[in-house]
Amino acid sequence: MNALPQPLPPPESFEQSSSMWVDEAIWGHRLYDEQLPWFVFLEFLNVFTHEDDKGRAFDEQDKPNELKYRAAHRLYLRNILFNNPHLPNIRLSYPNDSNRWEEWLRRMKSAATGLNHPEFGFLKDHFHSFEDFCEIVSLVRSTSLEVNSNKRWTSKFVFPYGRGCLYEDLDNNASTNDRRFFGRTGEMLYLMLCRTPRKQELLAAFKGRLAKAEKTWASIINCLQPTSAEDMSGERANAFLPYASHPCFDDLADDWLAVLRLNIPSYDVFPHLVNLAGLHILKYQLSVSRQLLGSSTPLKLICEVVAPKKTLVRELSCDLYQSNNLLPAQAVETFIANIDRSDDWQRAITENGAFEKCRRILKEKVRWGEDYDGPPDAGELISRLRQDAMKRHRQHVANIHRNYGREIGLVSKRGTVKLRYAPTDALFKTLLFANVEKRIELHQFLDRLHLRYGFVFGDKEAEQVLSKDEFDKKAFQGNSRRLEQRLGSLGLLRRLSDGCAYVVNPFHTEAR
Amino acid sequence: MAQSLARMETQRGRAEYVPNPSFANSGHAWLKFLRHYGPVPRADNMFDETLQRLARRQQIAPIDFQHPKQAEIADCFNRATADPVSVILTGTAGDGKTHLCRQVWKALRGSDDDWASDNPYLTIGFEYPKDRTTWPQSAEPRLYRSVKIHFIRDLSGWAPQQGAEWDVAKEALLQKFCHSLFSSDSDEIFLIAANDGQLIESFRRLNGTPDVKRARQVFEDLLVEDRQEQTGVRLKFFNLSRASSAVLFDRAIEQFLAHPGWDELKQGVPAENDVFGPKCPIRQNYELLGTPLVRARLRSLLELCDYNGLHVPVRQILLLLTNAVLGHPDVGQHLMLPGDVPKVIAAGTVSKASIYNNIFGANLSDIRRQSITIFDFLERFQIGSETSNRVDNLLIFGDGDENLGDYFANFIEKDKFYGADDRFYAAKHEYIEGTSEDEENDNAFLQMLVAQRRGLFFKIPKDAEVELNLWELTVFRFAGEYLDEVVAVLKRGGVVKRPLVSHLVKGLNRVFTGMLINSDRELFLATSGNYSQAKVSRILVERVSVEPSKGEKVILRVDPASGRVLLSVFFAPDNYVDFNLTLIRYEFLLRIAIEGALPASFSRECYEDLLAFKSQLIAAYSKRQAKEESPSGSTISLMLLSLTELGTPDPRAVEIMP
Repeated sequence: MNALPQPLPPPESFEQSSSMWVDEAIWGHRLYDEQLPWFVFLEFLNVFTHEDDKGRAFDEQDKPNELKYRAAHRLYLRNILFNNPHLPNIRLSYPNDSNRWEEWLRRMKSAATGLNHPEFGFLKDHFHSFEDFCEIVSLVRSTSLEVNSNKRWTSKFVFPYGRGCLYEDLDNNASTNDRRFFGRTGEMLYLMLCRTPRKQELLAAFKGRLAKAEKTWASIINCLQPTSAEDMSGERANAFLPYASHPCFDDLADDWLAVLRLNIPSYDVFPHLVNLAGLHILKYQLSVSRQLLGSSTPLKLICEVVAPKKTLVRELSCDLYQSNNLLPAQAVETFIANIDRSDDWQRAITENGAFEKCRRILKEKVRWGEDYDGPPDAGELISRLRQDAMKRHRQHVANIHRNYGREIGLVSKRGTVKLRYAPTDALFKTLLFANVEKRIELHQFLDRLHLRYGFVFGDKEAEQVLSKDEFDKKAFQGNSRRLEQRLGSLGLLRRLSDGCAYVVNPFHTEAR
Repeated sequence: MAQSLARMETQRGRAEYVPNPSFANSGHAWLKFLRHYGPVPRADNMFDETLQRLARRQQIAPIDFQHPKQAEIADCFNRATADPVSVILTGTAGDGKTHLCRQVWKALRGSDDDWASDNPYLTIGFEYPKDRTTWPQSAEPRLYRSVKIHFIRDLSGWAPQQGAEWDVAKEALLQKFCHSLFSSDSDEIFLIAANDGQLIESFRRLNGTPDVKRARQVFEDLLVEDRQEQTGVRLKFFNLSRASSAVLFDRAIEQFLAHPGWDELKQGVPAENDVFGPKCPIRQNYELLGTPLVRARLRSLLELCDYNGLHVPVRQILLLLTNAVLGHPDVGQHLMLPGDVPKVIAAGTVSKASIYNNIFGANLSDIRRQSITIFDFLERFQIGSETSNRVDNLLIFGDGDENLGDYFANFIEKDKFYGADDRFYAAKHEYIEGTSEDEENDNAFLQMLVAQRRGLFFKIPKDAEVELNLWELTVFRFAGEYLDEVVAVLKRGGVVKRPLVSHLVKGLNRVFTGMLINSDRELFLATSGNYSQAKVSRILVERVSVEPSKGEKVILRVDPASGRVLLSVFFAPDNYVDFNLTLIRYEFLLRIAIEGALPASFSRECYEDLLAFKSQLIAAYSKRQAKEESPSGSTISLMLLSLTELGTPDPRAVEIMP
């Protein structure tokens, strides 16, 4: 594995908030575990649309980390869809169409939140009847995200059918983005894609995809909001991604491109983009951790294709999950140990006024130390930093591996009490679509998954990464046989005979 | 009953034979030889060669019959062609590749000695006309050209082991082969036999010259797309795994039963406890196998394998037949030798040699059985484990019952070999009336029931099939209907009955909408808005008429090329989508249509297939609509689907004015 690239400095203009800058310095500002991959994707779409309108999509214009954008709020749409429990009741209590509209408009006038002078009368121009309006609302709701969760109404999102569906997460008063669920991970995702050599291709493919999408639903969503100027947020800035380039960014771009170019019907491509974004962010976190720790071997993720009984593969996968899960925390410790070992620090502790000098170093490097009230000793100071940094790390950043892993279907407890890598069918599909253009032999597919992501399914790959006493050929052969059955049951595998099976991508562009 | 009649006949006939010990001995030799076809461990990859050698040594005729593709393959080299091209024979282990190579070798008058050598690579010269269009009338030598034919009869034995380097000469030969595929003037052609996996593997390891790369692509395309040739490529490609298992079975069982070895055994006039005596299970199994009913049921199972996309190679069919006759769990290698028979009779374990169990490999250990293709395939029918109340009532309470008594008597009581014996009656009594709570006893009886249900599958005659719900003894309850009312009707050029099509359409509608819809006159295409694979789809896209109407129709037909049953949905005469209606998909749709639910075991795969089918249908629909002019008004109209309490669709139009 290559050494970690020299990180970029945060730009001059950066907001120097008092919060600590350790996780951020290692991975960026910031990885946020409560912003699950779908929300990462939605935040990304907001950034992308804004930048594309300005004619600079995926282009940082040689000023890294100076991204500034605005996002829409669309509070008419959101009030109608997610802050509007009145419809069934009005349909029941008011038999006549005009009464229904009247009553509903009256109620919304007082109940709608976040709008200065709520006026929903425009809806009547779009629907023949209140009944039709209700049907459409219920349909749109049924495809919305988080619609059945107990998240606040301002954190529910309409499926991204078009730009009229994009808006940012807001606080309870629907006034500002409190970074509760849009924690900038989508901004980081955007920056990652800005920093890959294939960004122009990606831009063309992505825009082509959006342009080709079925327009009906986008038009319907537009009918649920007034045509007047969009209510926009203030300027959003301060996203930070520390590396000018990284193989993980390129892998992500390759995968997105592969999927975007397939003949997958309209919006079916989005879940795959979301899965891939989640997977590559997870992998980015682990890879950077390992680079910081100076590991020389590539990342490995031994995956169990769920077996009815406990197998050796499951055991190894559990162990590996555990040790991978600790990598980010170890990276934080190493990061701080590196400060301790640095020439600056070592010089400072031998000089007069060591404590103050050290404190200054920490303020500069990790924006921490202002509130330190312990004994004036450099050693105490840095050990407190270590404690504080670990505590903060554990709150959110440490959970990316688990939360994103579970969300995209890579990590699971199925059939056991311990977490391990056990991909779901949906993730298998995503991986296949991203890695198989038309068809390849199964063993080549396994090899490719190993090379690109470190996934280990079969005996050939396991033999390369495991020591002799850990490796059990039969167990891994069984594992890849189960994988074969699973792919077969998804209609994605063509077995010719005992010696030969092809993994087939049904959405290959030449196919129709 | 058919099988008891057959037994009576042979018993009557036996008395006329004169004892002849030498016959008996050669009969014994036959049984010993036959064992090699059975599930005995073997390591060599040229099974046919080994068997031929053995047959020569022991002077026994091997089971020999003409492969359905034999004539077509021979025609690639004989006077049927004036301009021969290379041939690849591929398929899975046991498909008869080496056997067919040998037939070509013999036809080209190659020497037997050369063939008998161990060399996987041989060459032979043959004269073909210089004029590559017709054979000349005269034998004038200058009218002919000499063509060298390279036989690589076992590519895997000839190519280097995985990881090893190519021998220079061998690599050059394959390079030459690849080149010859694309040049019309070559005077060298090839016949190569290889498992499909090894074929792809060997050529991948070859140095990638442009010819090799092209050849690889050709092989892959032909294999995956199931084709025999490709324009501009001098190659005929036979994938023997595409042969019908049912046709192979017909030919194999004919020769198996007609083998002279059996006559020799009969002529030996054995004593009561001897091989082929009246109590001999081998004889009983042999005779049962020859009865039309057992043959027909076995054939149905193999035909159904075909329609589920499971191919059974020739060698596996011979293995099945051999095991059916010789199987017994307690003897060496679980296959009876002549010497075992008196011991088995003396031990009173004749019933354990039941052909009905042997057909499913029940004489073998679990691990051994699961590793054998044919038993793995037959296992999927779950014969023995699946049952109905009626069948279990027959077995448990049928004895003396006024309705089921006759059946019990005919199927169970009268079968002195594999029917009800004292052990069965005792266990039955204990099971029904016993007070012991010993689970082991119950289990033993349940195991006997498994064996009896398997027996019933081969004993219930055709005319009682419906009354006794024969196919409920398998996991495919509609398999009989599929064979008789769909496959057979279509193969005769008939039309499938309307109610069957209606059931299929109803099943499709339920999957496509995710609702328990009861409509079967139209096919309902519906989506969910954002995700074409959603479980519930409320937005109606189109209704396709099942009865022919304005170019639309839904029909069942047979694909003449592959013999598969297709369900075809027509949007217009030139715009249609085919769906390979395998047995398992048929069963799935019918169960959904009739019961609304199904066992989880095979639902997932079919469900995914059907969603993919729906995507194709929607794409075909969009293609048709693209030709239509879009309405001038910009109104968006949606049809929202809901159901009445009776499951009748009640679509409601909603309009939006942007």
